[in-house]
Amino acid sequence: MINQLIFAYFAAVIVVSAVLVITRKNPVHSVMFMLLLFFHIAGVFVLLNAEFLAAVQLIVYAGAILILFLFVVILLSVERESQAARANRFWPWLAGFGLIIAGEIALLVLRGSFPGEGKMAVQVAGAGVRDLGVVLYSKFLVPFEISSVILLVGLIGAVMLAKKKTNE
Amino acid sequence: MVPLSWYVLLSAALFTIGVVGVLSRRNVFIILMSIELMLNAANINLIAFSHYLQNLTGQIFVIFVITVAAAEAAVALALIILLARNRGTVYVDEFNLLKG
Amino acid sequence: MTPGSYLPGHFLPVAIFLFVGIAVGVGMLVFSRLVSPRRPYREKLMTYESGITPFSDAHQKFSIRYYIIAMLFLIFDIEAVFLYPWAVAYDRIGLYGLVEMVIFIIILLVGYVYAWKKGALEWE
Repeated sequence: MINQLIFAYFAAVIVVSAVLVITRKNPVHSVMFMLLLFFHIAGVFVLLNAEFLAAVQLIVYAGAILILFLFVVILLSVERESQAARANRFWPWLAGFGLIIAGEIALLVLRGSFPGEGKMAVQVAGAGVRDLGVVLYSKFLVPFEISSVILLVGLIGAVMLAKKKTNE
Repeated sequence: MVPLSWYVLLSAALFTIGVVGVLSRRNVFIILMSIELMLNAANINLIAFSHYLQNLTGQIFVIFVITVAAAEAAVALALIILLARNRGTVYVDEFNLLKG
Repeated sequence: MTPGSYLPGHFLPVAIFLFVGIAVGVGMLVFSRLVSPRRPYREKLMTYESGITPFSDAHQKFSIRYYIIAMLFLIFDIEAVFLYPWAVAYDRIGLYGLVEMVIFIIILLVGYVYAWKKGALEWE
């Protein structure tokens, strides 16, 4: 019962702040609601016994990616935003489309069943950082090295694009 | 006890909100943030299945998703800075020139 | 214990800490709003600029260098995220893991050297 209440709180805040993120006029407000959203997603991760990922969610998403967004929003001044329309002219249709998709997924999920759901016992120590590290550095060797290449490409691309303008 | 389907429904709701945000908003920042919303929806799904099936692969996948999201945010924001400086706008429907 | 009924009880102090932190912050704002007298006029609401009348908007454009620094921080933040489980699990992966991590760091070092040579780390 207490699990359901905690989950309901997290889910309600996540959905409401996600709606606020995509409907606010000022991008800075959107970033702030995104921060609230990331904190509650980290809460969901803790509820799912993924403590390391909850910390990563806060450190990387809330601490770095969101700050990057905030810097760029402030970098490009947003004074014109207050007068302009925030959505394109199709938005009522798109919102209806979204509701239909969400309803369809809900119908599918509620009428179907997941095999093995809730049958296995939780090993509380089994999802620690140590086991994560062992699996990550033995089974996922190639994805791990490729992710460093992805980071390298991101770094070089961003430095190249951003420096090009300031040298002129 | 919380059934797995609740987490899947939460993730579906978050994903749909992200899709609607990408399709309907004009400001390119909000579009990027909606993409982050969709990635987070996928992360919730992966971790929920990882927990209910007691398999760590889902959690490791989430680390890779976060890595890709970070690289994507870095490059996309650099592109937005250049676009906004060249065009003087952050609205996607005003980026209508292929060459200019 | 099945997955649906797992409750992270050792996070209760964190929850209490967050709750008290938010309550103190919000409580201070609400209490001062309720108790203090408010008679605002134009000069009082003006931004405090060491006694000088503000002459321009505070919303001025930032330098692009802030973006570059934040982006570099983000990339190396991810590297730290990968280092942490590696360090914790080091005694179980051994030399194999060390070689993997050295390759990973060398690849990222290429990017670091590139950023350095491009002058992205200089503020001037």
